[in-house]
Amino acid sequence: MTDRDRNTRLEWLAVALALAFAGLVVRLVYLHLLTDETARQSVEDKGTIVKPILTGRGRILEGSKAGNIVALNVGMYDLCADPALLAKSNLTEKVSASLGPLLGVSPEELRSRLNQPEKRFAFIAHQIPDDLVRQIMDLKSPGIFTRETTLRRYPQGGMMCHVLGFSNMEGVGSAGVELIADKYLKGSQGFLESRLDGRRKEMYGWRVQDIQPQEGADVYLTLDENLQYMVETALDRAMEKNRARGAWAIVQRIRTGEILALANRPNFDLNEYRSARSEQMLNRAIGQIFEPGSTFKVVAIAAALNEGIVTTNQIFNTENGRWSYMGKVLRDYHSYSQLTVSDVFKKSSNIGAAKIAILVGKDTFFRYLKEFGIGRKTGVDLPGEEAGLLTPLERWSGISVSRIAIGQGVAVTALQMLGVVNAVANDGFLMKPYIIRRVVAKDGTVLYKGAPEVVGRPIRGDTAQKMRDLMARVTEPGGTGTKAAIEGYRVGGKTGSAQKPVAGGYSETDYMATFVGFLPVENPEISIIVTVDEPQPFHTGGLVAAPIFKEIAEQAVRYLDISPATPTGLVGP
Amino acid sequence: MARKNRKKNEQGFLFPIPLAVTLLVVALLALFHICLKARADALGREIKALEARRVILRDQLKKEEGEWSLLRSPARVEAALREQGLVMAWPRRDQIVRIICAPTSGRARRLEPTQPMQYAQIQKVVLND
Repeated sequence: MTDRDRNTRLEWLAVALALAFAGLVVRLVYLHLLTDETARQSVEDKGTIVKPILTGRGRILEGSKAGNIVALNVGMYDLCADPALLAKSNLTEKVSASLGPLLGVSPEELRSRLNQPEKRFAFIAHQIPDDLVRQIMDLKSPGIFTRETTLRRYPQGGMMCHVLGFSNMEGVGSAGVELIADKYLKGSQGFLESRLDGRRKEMYGWRVQDIQPQEGADVYLTLDENLQYMVETALDRAMEKNRARGAWAIVQRIRTGEILALANRPNFDLNEYRSARSEQMLNRAIGQIFEPGSTFKVVAIAAALNEGIVTTNQIFNTENGRWSYMGKVLRDYHSYSQLTVSDVFKKSSNIGAAKIAILVGKDTFFRYLKEFGIGRKTGVDLPGEEAGLLTPLERWSGISVSRIAIGQGVAVTALQMLGVVNAVANDGFLMKPYIIRRVVAKDGTVLYKGAPEVVGRPIRGDTAQKMRDLMARVTEPGGTGTKAAIEGYRVGGKTGSAQKPVAGGYSETDYMATFVGFLPVENPEISIIVTVDEPQPFHTGGLVAAPIFKEIAEQAVRYLDISPATPTGLVGP
Repeated sequence: MARKNRKKNEQGFLFPIPLAVTLLVVALLALFHICLKARADALGREIKALEARRVILRDQLKKEEGEWSLLRSPARVEAALREQGLVMAWPRRDQIVRIICAPTSGRARRLEPTQPMQYAQIQKVVLND
């Protein structure tokens, strides 16, 4: 080969390379500058992934030493399909037959769901566990894929259901603490924008945005799982024994206002909340108002003692159990000719309590009602609380003061009534009840802290002391609440047996039986209210609610290690 | 007519040395870049795999926590005791011995039977008081 030939070849090679390079340049210019915008965008989109990163809703933990989780999010999967692809591959029949038995769905039903050749997406099943997903994905069916999701789980099922509430399918709190603390629990979703490689796998190095999700904070409750269980089992037994329509109870720490247990019957399984009936979901302890009956005598007598209008030994004529006032007859359950104020309370005399309230006067009595928080929400951190019913003073009739004193013509929630008794047990200080002890972010920051809060002081300390002594006599022999007495402890309390209001008057057969009390009387630690709706065959608070109170209180004092108030135990040398 | 420079013709086409060096440097840099890119991609894949693993483990942890909470729940404990034929009851007052430790001697004394019984508890002693 001559030099000339070689040079010629090199020149041709250079020309060929130059042409190839020029071709590439032309193609690049065409693709980048001259291609249709939509086509270019479509190519761009195909290589881009934009997806939200799901975050876990925060946990809810109960307040015992164990700090057990009572609500948490677990990762699950939604099973999805591409019906068009299945139809194109002629696999609809085969996939339906293989997936149906695994999902517990008939293949025919599944086939009808998948037989939509015009659609590119269809849900097959929601929130299925990962072991089942693994089984399904092992089948390697084309057109079947999964999507990550989360499921709110309540490990205890129905326990604390009315307090915890639930979050819906979208992860939004819809009842109870789930609703009230939603802003803390929900966290914030993350976001990922990145590029995909030829195998449609995300390329880490091409991440445009990678915003990590902020997990929801943990909510710690004041509720104690063990106490709650004691209360719930006691209510279950009471429902069965009394063939009641409903029952509810609250245990509260007197000095702080913390709610240690709150339970209602009927209840429901939080994991199956969609199948629960509305009456099962009602948090009666704060959301159902009722006429408190004789338990309300606490307010009337406390007001009279605080005003110095009566003394505990003052004698009242109780009219042998029948007294006509302003043309309306008032009766006592047991008839007495005369009783001291102490015995009016101990024997629960309606006539005595009415006469005492009349002495107090309607203006003063109304003021005390307001100061005890009647007709006003307690402000507990739970949704659905009722304010109760307190008729404005200007609409009171002549007999209102005598009837409200015995718990008629006024309506309260169990929590309000418990608040009244708490104030008596707490030297007259009315505490705001609370159920959320604290909210802690994932990094340990305390976002919210529930703390004791004094709402008011309707009565003085000396009056409260007198009232505590009066209430202690109720559970002593001769009182109406002897079935609430606990060996070794002085228990203060009050029974209530209120006829349920019906159109035009009061029912002769349907009652609300209540017992509200606290212990130990000398140094009150906890208060408990128990209400039973329409118990059968007995209907008095002393026979129906007091034994439930006793059952709960007996276990609670041991569990909480509440000593009898006068310690006589060992002392150090 | 000028005579042909034979010496020059013998050398033929000479690739310019600076260009060759430049191309070599560029080629080396490109190779280095490719190596780094491959390493970065491998690390990216590893990070992604670890991220996925972390998600799985976190889910697993949550499930275990839930299960553990359930196992410790009073209802489950009671059911387990029942299954084993065990019956637990709260102690009666006369079955409880309250013992407290003195802050200095550490001696404990049993409650005299004639005295009213107290429930067991460890009493807090403020040592600096």
